[in-house]
Amino acid sequence: MDTYLKHLSETVLAEDKVVDYLLLSQALQVPVNTAKQMLYEFHRTQNVKRPGSVHATYLIYGVKHNNNSQNGTDEEMPDADSVTDAVPVYHLHLVAEEKLGDVLAEYEEVTTIHVYSVAPHPIKDMALLADLAHEVRSSDKKVPPNIVNPNVRTRERRGSGLKATNASVATVKQQPKVDSKIKEEPEPAEEAKSAVKTEKTAKTTSSAPAKKPAPAKSAGIMAAFSKAASLPKKEPKSSKSASPAVTETNTPALSDEDDDEEEMPQPKPRVKPGFKTKKQREEDLRRMMEEDDEEEASTSEGAETPEEPEPEPEPMEVEEEAPEPVQEEKEVVETTGNGRRRGKRRIMRKKQIMDEQGYLVTIQEPGWESFSEDEDLPPPKVVKTTSSASSTQASKVKKGAAKGQGSIMSFFSKKA
Amino acid sequence: MVKLEDIADLGLLQAPLKADPTTKAATALERVPSNYKSLDTFALPKDRQYQQQFADIYFLRLTKIKPAVEQIAYEAWEDTVLGGDNAKKVERVLDVRQGELCWVAGTVYMDMPLKPSILEDVSKDRWISAPTSVDHYYSEDGRDQIMLEDDSGRIRLVGEPLKNYFLVTGCIIAVMGTENANGEFEVIDLKFADLPPQPPRWALSDKDKKTKSEDLSMIDISAPSKRIAIVSGLGFSGSSTAYSAELKVLKEYLAAQALDAKTQSSEQSKISRLIIAGNSIAEATSSDPHSNNPSTKTHTKKYGYDASSYNPLPSQLLDSFLSELLPSLPITLLPGPNDPANSSYPQQPIHSAMFPESRYYGPTPSLPDEPGWLDATTNPFESEIEGWRVLGTSGQNLDDICKYMDNPDRLGLMEAMCRWRCSAPTAPDTLWSYPFQDDEPFVMKECPHLYFVGSQPKFDSKVIEGPDGQMVRLILVPKFSETREVVLVDTETMELSVVRLSAE
Repeated sequence: MDTYLKHLSETVLAEDKVVDYLLLSQALQVPVNTAKQMLYEFHRTQNVKRPGSVHATYLIYGVKHNNNSQNGTDEEMPDADSVTDAVPVYHLHLVAEEKLGDVLAEYEEVTTIHVYSVAPHPIKDMALLADLAHEVRSSDKKVPPNIVNPNVRTRERRGSGLKATNASVATVKQQPKVDSKIKEEPEPAEEAKSAVKTEKTAKTTSSAPAKKPAPAKSAGIMAAFSKAASLPKKEPKSSKSASPAVTETNTPALSDEDDDEEEMPQPKPRVKPGFKTKKQREEDLRRMMEEDDEEEASTSEGAETPEEPEPEPEPMEVEEEAPEPVQEEKEVVETTGNGRRRGKRRIMRKKQIMDEQGYLVTIQEPGWESFSEDEDLPPPKVVKTTSSASSTQASKVKKGAAKGQGSIMSFFSKKA
Repeated sequence: MVKLEDIADLGLLQAPLKADPTTKAATALERVPSNYKSLDTFALPKDRQYQQQFADIYFLRLTKIKPAVEQIAYEAWEDTVLGGDNAKKVERVLDVRQGELCWVAGTVYMDMPLKPSILEDVSKDRWISAPTSVDHYYSEDGRDQIMLEDDSGRIRLVGEPLKNYFLVTGCIIAVMGTENANGEFEVIDLKFADLPPQPPRWALSDKDKKTKSEDLSMIDISAPSKRIAIVSGLGFSGSSTAYSAELKVLKEYLAAQALDAKTQSSEQSKISRLIIAGNSIAEATSSDPHSNNPSTKTHTKKYGYDASSYNPLPSQLLDSFLSELLPSLPITLLPGPNDPANSSYPQQPIHSAMFPESRYYGPTPSLPDEPGWLDATTNPFESEIEGWRVLGTSGQNLDDICKYMDNPDRLGLMEAMCRWRCSAPTAPDTLWSYPFQDDEPFVMKECPHLYFVGSQPKFDSKVIEGPDGQMVRLILVPKFSETREVVLVDTETMELSVVRLSAE
């Protein structure tokens, strides 16, 4: 007895399974066409031994009679329209052996017929055969390919997906073990959080990290932090209000509090703002150089928040526009008592007006501004208070004036 | 009348030769290569906006097609004299004067009470989230009106000749006639742009092939026969197994596993490409009867999501269908209305993430010009296959036009689309569409050689000819889920054959 017959009788007769030619081809690693013949031979020999013990399905390929009653509706339609070509219709018919005779009678010509599957019982529902495909797919073996295409192209597989996930899982697991020093440094939010944890030092440290967060996030983080610092009980809630990314990065930091406390002093050196643009920095430098020579303006301006002197359509700060050497000379100095020098100087003021067509036009117009150079005295009063911007400017000036001209480091530290 | 005895000698109904198992796979067939160039005519930018107005589509379409229509109209009506009046060309619809014989070109607008209207939806505070499923737009009581409009205005068209033509919203026509006392335009004659210029075969391919094929005749009978298989509406379903056996046989047929060696080498290996024209996944049923699934099918993989709300089986079945064919057969996959893609025209390719097994046959990122072995394309899509310009859609464009008429002649409407030079005239009026700003891709700039429309109720086909010798093969590709039919196109002779599968 051939091996395939043995295999088939085991699976079909003993295990009561349906076997199609693909399954057989896969199991025995024989070409599909050979498998079809094997099925036929098995079906024949078994039914010789015991008729009706094995039932087959056949696949027929051919052309049916044109005027067949069963397909009449389909076939007649093209004839109705003379323009339509008569298109040959080939039939691919999967049929159980019980109906084979009837089905064959419908055919005019059969090009191919082969045994499709064998089963120990008649197949009632052809969908059962479709399920064999799952079996073929779930096996490790492949059906020997009957056709190849030398032109086939695939995308290069870059590593398997499984490996990648494993790796990422490993790194994720390792992360919490890493010294929190490393993690903390790039995360101002964590520091803020840890500051919250150490409640004793909360107030002193809070000012340092709060100044640092990135401009985009700063509002959320700072809000969360300031709340937390004052109301430690509400801490979880407020941390939620911050961006989700922050909340995520916080969790590992919480696990090792002790480290956090030790690290606390570390963030302080990073207070320096890193967000100034190159342009701003150049502008600062230029102004500093100018003002070294001119004592009068230096104190008030050095303390100011450096704002880019863009031609924005809003009233610019008076002091920013002022330090043009040409204009500075046009001072009318009125020396008063106490040795103070007071006076007015000519400046170019930006003014925004609405013209007759309704457009907002920003013009520069000359104006006078009073100033006072004495350090001990209250800030220069702006003579023409054109807008709220200039008044806030004045208050800033006050702050700077009080402190006086310190070291160059104090110049930087102001701007955070 | 075939009897079993007559065909018993066909080869496979006999015991295998003893030597066979040892000589296995020695004679593996080789599939014919596929010359294929995919055009990205209907690809949308990745960062597309949806804030624009739709009016630009009509404007662009009118700008593109109007010159051709006017040319044809001019040739036809140049010397037309009726009642002593010479037909004059009028530039804009608004310039039509009462009583003057004139002709004018513009866009057709069908005013139909049953047609969905966004204004109506807004006024009734009704916001639909899916394209409308109205069966038809025409109304039996004759309330429908045909308008001609351009950027200047609109005029109602009346007259007997209108009944002889298919007209839908969005097609560009020229009409000759006069404005009557009611302010309506009495149409005497009507012209379309007709077929656009057709590129020669191999127009996009390399010069070698071009010169070679120019030496020979346009259709080279002696060339080795190649076929492309077009199938539509495979309808892989998670709940129904009504035609799963047919799908299995189809896969084996296309993969050249079924049938005998002779047929495999003479027919199946000649299929150089499979085009799946939409609806590969069955329409989702609202109440997915999971519990009724055959037990053998439920053992498939489970993922982390809620399986009761989403059935992954259809896309898994499609994926395995594709992945079993792809090793030997390149596939072009169009999305259809039921497929996991955007629903507005033009539909963008089904994302490769839907095919965990098949996606390795997708396009190589390093070769952006090379279409993937599995080419997930837009719908509609345009390509050059074996030198022929092929235009194909998954059927929404035709289905939507059919709603404008009672008892539509689908093949006739396909032809009309070609003659209107517009593959989706009813977009964006009744066919959901992307609001194009700079280009109107539905305008047929070049005449295809093969134009197929998928998801149709039954197979039909014809060849139409244009005034300049253009020949277009039109194919209505039936839904496989209903007809079990695959259309084979011979790429040398443009002849068709149909393979109908059945299982009983």
